[in-house]
Amino acid sequence: MKRAFSFVVWLAVALLGAGALGAIAIHRGEPLNAMWFVIAALCCYLVAFRLYSAFVAAKVLALDDTRATPAERHDDGRDFVPTNKWVLFGHHFAAIAGPGPLVGPTLAAQFGYLPGTLWLIVGAAFGGCVQDFVILFCSIRRDGKSLGQMAREEVSRRGGIIAQLAVLAIIIILLGVIALVVVNALRASPWATFTISMTLPIALLLGVYLRFLRPGKVVEASVIGLAFVLFVVVAGRWVAESPSWAHVFTLGGVSLAIAIIIYGYIASVLPVWLLLAPRDYLIAFIKAGAIFSLAAGILFVRPDVLMPPLTRFVDGTGPVFAGKIFPFCFITIACGAISGFHSLISSGTTPKMILRESQARFIGYGAMLLESFVGVMAMVAACAMTPGVYFAINSPAGIVGHTAEAAATTISSWGYHIDAQTMTQLAQSVGEQTLLNRTGGAPSLAVGMAQIFSSTIGGGRLLGIWYHFAIMFEALFVLTVLDAGTRVGRFMIHEMGGRLWKPLARTNWLPAVLICSAVIVGSWGYFLYQGVIDPLGGINSLWPLFGIANQLLAAVALVVATTILMKMGRLRWLWVTVIPMLALIIITMTSSYQKILSPNPRIGFLSGANDLAAQIAGGIVPAARIAETHRLMFNLRLDAVVTSILVVMILLLIVEALVQWYGILSRRHEAVLHESPYIATRWAPDFSGAGHGTVVGDAVGDD
Amino acid sequence: MRKAAKRTRRFLRRFWRGFREWCGDAAYESYLRSKVHHAGSCRTLSQAEFYVDQLNRRYSRPNRCC
Repeated sequence: MKRAFSFVVWLAVALLGAGALGAIAIHRGEPLNAMWFVIAALCCYLVAFRLYSAFVAAKVLALDDTRATPAERHDDGRDFVPTNKWVLFGHHFAAIAGPGPLVGPTLAAQFGYLPGTLWLIVGAAFGGCVQDFVILFCSIRRDGKSLGQMAREEVSRRGGIIAQLAVLAIIIILLGVIALVVVNALRASPWATFTISMTLPIALLLGVYLRFLRPGKVVEASVIGLAFVLFVVVAGRWVAESPSWAHVFTLGGVSLAIAIIIYGYIASVLPVWLLLAPRDYLIAFIKAGAIFSLAAGILFVRPDVLMPPLTRFVDGTGPVFAGKIFPFCFITIACGAISGFHSLISSGTTPKMILRESQARFIGYGAMLLESFVGVMAMVAACAMTPGVYFAINSPAGIVGHTAEAAATTISSWGYHIDAQTMTQLAQSVGEQTLLNRTGGAPSLAVGMAQIFSSTIGGGRLLGIWYHFAIMFEALFVLTVLDAGTRVGRFMIHEMGGRLWKPLARTNWLPAVLICSAVIVGSWGYFLYQGVIDPLGGINSLWPLFGIANQLLAAVALVVATTILMKMGRLRWLWVTVIPMLALIIITMTSSYQKILSPNPRIGFLSGANDLAAQIAGGIVPAARIAETHRLMFNLRLDAVVTSILVVMILLLIVEALVQWYGILSRRHEAVLHESPYIATRWAPDFSGAGHGTVVGDAVGDD
Repeated sequence: MRKAAKRTRRFLRRFWRGFREWCGDAAYESYLRSKVHHAGSCRTLSQAEFYVDQLNRRYSRPNRCC
């Protein structure tokens, strides 16, 4: 009876999800309510978790709860800490949820709401969640080893080096791109620039508090910091309204880029407790609050989605970034559907803290579903805006012009009506000088979030506060990833540099710290500078480059996962990782080919450089701008080289893996699995974590 | 009624404990409870030492995603 009831409930959920997805896909004409998106996403996630993840757990991975996890075997209270599954889910989600699932879907909205939403749901269920889950499982079985170590042991030594280089490449490109998102959000905005600047002294204050006054008292320090941050968001308006102070905090793109590069360097050199960690604590609460509020706001306001299901830009002529729906929609969505970077988290801290193998399903697969849901929320926020406003904010000046009138004329000619006054009024109501040409996705997402929040609390009066709260949230979010990523990149440079000159490997030797910090900051700083001076806004060339790097890393993770499954003898179920792996290889190879060799100068890096060269030769470029144009040409050629290197690396890894797979399948060599030996768990079945009133080895339940 | 109040109190207590663990507030308590500490194989760190040591470990590997 119970089984029949469960069957009926799950059938109803599946039918509801299918109906909502059908409504999204087929609906034309009148605007569609955002609730359809929420219902479709939630039902699909529930069914995917209930059925597909259970299938992967039982048949493909054969999770074994009698086996002791690394947290039990090596419990040291530092790296290996037995952690309650809900707490670990929170940790894992906080680590994987970055600005990508917010920015990517916002940019991909230029194709309309349909392709992005479908890829967010389907890509996550069959690609991203599977990758996170399988890599987490593999790492648990190997004492929490990293992706690079697993690639080295299970694929080949060269495979490990390729994975390590791919990680460094993605970190550099990622940091350059997300820094550009911050620059575009703060450009010519004294309110936002003041707010973000003030978070620096607040973080330093918290750092001193947590280190010397109340060591480790994170909750009370965060509450104090949060109060200060909310105050500076409000105080930003007073600064923006004061002519003398507004002048001080009104900065152009290059000035902001230099400021962020200097900040990145200082954050990398300073002790981690002083700036990096307290900033991270600050954003943890704001991030959780903002994401929860966005979801709650969408449920409460139930806005209409004004963007059409498909726009005319599916043909590749989009103003936000150039390129056809395939492959660029998939590359742009990036982290919301599948992210290679997640495999670093799944093979980092999480496997060292998990209590049981079966919890890998909830944490690995479940957290990625939640991340995909954040992506759907961002898509809804972007598509709930008038399409004309969306394109005016996200299109670079090189395409729609510098003035509101020029932008309104161009965008209206695309069939998305907008008048100049609307943009001027919107900018005034959010307390900005202009919202035109604010590429990067962050400002348009902030407008979308502010409209949803102000419909819930405060109305139009608080639109400016909500907008700047959203900008503060996005910028702080990005800067946290920026300084944490710079530090990790610095450690990788220490490790690699140490092979050339031993003293460089010493992470606490000041000259080595200064040199390695300069190398990593200089690398991403160059990409940032390149984006800032790009007349097409930088996002057009850099976001696809980031998407390609990220998806290539995901392909690396799936190659490693497939090799391990093959060695485990799960040949029948190999398609679980092989299908997403093939999909990613096709997507990334197609997009890489187009980004390097497309004859369209807005898509192809080389044709873009050649086009600029022809302009110089034809005398079209004024003499004063020739040096700048040469720099742009160099940057485009550099991007082509970087993309080529990424492609060559993944192709080498695939060849390495193919050799390995051929050897295993033809039984030319033995499939040696580098798992840790089986040790039976001593924990009782109801053990729920060291901090939860239970004792290791005793069958003591929760209190 | 009393049972409901007891359940609520228990839920709130567990939630608070989980929240403190999530944000790192209870990290030192977990460290003191760990096997290594009980085994006495190495010197127990003070709360301030543990705080810095924990941060240095956490931020030397990828811990934030894109």
